[in-house]
Amino acid sequence: MKKAFVAALLIITAIPLLIGVAALPPHGETTAPVHTHISARYLMRGAEEAGADNIVTGVLLNYRGLDTAGEVTVIFTALVAGLAVLITRRKEPGAKADSAARGDVPAPPPVSPVVSFVVQLLAPFIALFAVYVILNGHVTPGGGFQGGAILGALFIALTIVLGEGRTRSLMPRLALPWMQGAALISFVVVGVLGAGLTGYFLGFPAEASLHLVRELMMLVLEAGIGLGGAAIFATLFLQMEAE
Amino acid sequence: MLAWPHWLVVVVLVPLLGAVLTPVVSLRSRHVAPWWALGVMSVTSTAALFLILRVAAEGPFSYLPGGWVPPYGIELRFDEFSASISVICLIGWLAVLYSLRYVEWLREVPKQRIPYYYSLLLLNLGGMIGFVITGDLFNMFVFLEILSLSAYALVAFSGEHIAEMAAFKYLLMGAISSLLVLFSVGILFGVTGSLNMADVATRLASAEPVAPAALALGMLTVGLMVKAALFPVHIWLPDAHAIAPSPISAVLSGLVVKIGIIGMIRVYQIYNSANMIDLHMLNQTLVWLGAISIVMGAFFAIFQDDIKLMLAYSTISNIGYIVMGLGLSTNSSIIGGSAHVFNHALIKATLFFAAGGLIYRTGYRTLTDLRGIGRSMPLTCIAISIGAISIVGIPPTAGFFCKWYIALGAFEADQPFFGFALIFGALFIFIYYIRMVNAFYFQAPTRPEILEVEEAPASILFPTLLLAVLCLTVGPIPLTFIKPAAELLLAPLGG
Repeated sequence: MKKAFVAALLIITAIPLLIGVAALPPHGETTAPVHTHISARYLMRGAEEAGADNIVTGVLLNYRGLDTAGEVTVIFTALVAGLAVLITRRKEPGAKADSAARGDVPAPPPVSPVVSFVVQLLAPFIALFAVYVILNGHVTPGGGFQGGAILGALFIALTIVLGEGRTRSLMPRLALPWMQGAALISFVVVGVLGAGLTGYFLGFPAEASLHLVRELMMLVLEAGIGLGGAAIFATLFLQMEAE
Repeated sequence: MLAWPHWLVVVVLVPLLGAVLTPVVSLRSRHVAPWWALGVMSVTSTAALFLILRVAAEGPFSYLPGGWVPPYGIELRFDEFSASISVICLIGWLAVLYSLRYVEWLREVPKQRIPYYYSLLLLNLGGMIGFVITGDLFNMFVFLEILSLSAYALVAFSGEHIAEMAAFKYLLMGAISSLLVLFSVGILFGVTGSLNMADVATRLASAEPVAPAALALGMLTVGLMVKAALFPVHIWLPDAHAIAPSPISAVLSGLVVKIGIIGMIRVYQIYNSANMIDLHMLNQTLVWLGAISIVMGAFFAIFQDDIKLMLAYSTISNIGYIVMGLGLSTNSSIIGGSAHVFNHALIKATLFFAAGGLIYRTGYRTLTDLRGIGRSMPLTCIAISIGAISIVGIPPTAGFFCKWYIALGAFEADQPFFGFALIFGALFIFIYYIRMVNAFYFQAPTRPEILEVEEAPASILFPTLLLAVLCLTVGPIPLTFIKPAAELLLAPLGG
């Protein structure tokens, strides 16, 4: 009975959805509004006026920079939400760091020596690749979000292989909250700088003479997003592992 | 100072940045966190004050982050509806002050979590401020996510055993509603190629075919009404609002559910001015659902013994009033409905603050246990009584004016039935608030020890009493303030 009711409800919901979506302009049609209105300008002039050969980065950081500032805040919210619910009395990250200093960290679970060796061997290259993805984001696909995810994944892999005691030192207690908030902090710093240069918050100077400044501002944003993302991944992983 | 353009971006970024820096400033001692949050909200409130003075003086204005002309960049737009940041800042500031003692007192909560609580609260307030001041559909969604995510976590924060379940229920419903909103934004982008609200409205007027736009309207309505907790998608609300820590209940019940309403007002702004879909069906549905919400919320509230659960059901009734006002879509009803967004926020925050004060001192939360509390905590109980008469709508309290205008709208729209539904609902509401006042003042205590408790501490009593005084005094101000905007809401493009 209940299943029949759910099935009927799903079908009734699906009908208007399908009708509505079917009437959308077909994919790839060049005269569709998605191609002729704002995206047309992004494609025509984006590389030059937004300062990034990769148009996606131009839209993310320049045309719609405030959205991205909001999105990094969503990621930060996820971190804080996790911590506010997960932290228990005994296992607080700070307290753990202290116990790590005393050397009474539980031994890492056994990992295959092959996996352990390969992860350690590849670690510098993965880190280098992450930095490349972050720095090159405004020319080729990539950027802070992707690079940050790679860095975060590297941290997690190293923690599994080497144990928490050794990777914990990558996230010193006093610097950790700065790292977690790096993304929004860099947006605010760059935004205020932009307001000084152009009169608009998050504005990027368009003059040729300030070309390097614009480049630098974008790099700061990408680096902030990458660092923040990686720190948030790592913290949530450690917190869940501690449970 | 008024003309300084950057206030509009300051007002949203200060709370968000403040939230990000909360863990940093509390590294040394977690006791810094509440004072930091209080400072952040003070700066935000100052910015909000300048913005509201400016909109009162010269009407709606915009700010262009990045300097791109809309629709190419994002537009922050401050209109009369955005002035609801006044209550967001006021109740937010008071909620932080209130939390100072209240959160420390929550036994189930490990103390290390407390800085994250303030961080979440600031994120929630910043998200709401961003939501009401943006003029861009996708930007609206981003802020909706910030405020929703932080709200789920704040519900789970109280540490009581059903809190996680209540938060999870809220999370599931909320996630679906966010998806509906995001999908609609995508469809609107597909039909118009734009995300700027004003631009979408203009381009929607000539959009062909109509079906996708109608689908987007339907999904936006459902999605936003889940956030607002209108019948029949209200089921997440009672547990979530009752189990959250009391200052959070005040924020959730007073402010967060109103985000759904303000989102709906934005949807109306777009579709009314595009004027390509007949909104009559939608309006009629909303009026009916509003009427059912009023009666149902009031009906369930009568049977509650837990005061916070009772207040939570009362929120469903009041959302019903607001939605009914919007749905009737006459001048008076829209003025009444949108002014009730302000006034109900004040009233419900008063009630939750006062209820929290009683729980803080006595540890009891049911009417039976709290009998006779009026003798030992007179000031808190006076605040609750003022809140009660305001929410019933007895003149000259804040609740009266809004309900009067909505009822007037029902008769204007030639649908007197809904006017009677409204009055009938108010009668129900009267019954259960009388029950509450009766228990506090006139019944013999079941727990003799509550006669010994002291009045709530100053950091809890001051927010409660301040809001109670506002309930008595500011009622008519939102009505006159919102009038020009409400009239514009009904006007089709170029009409």
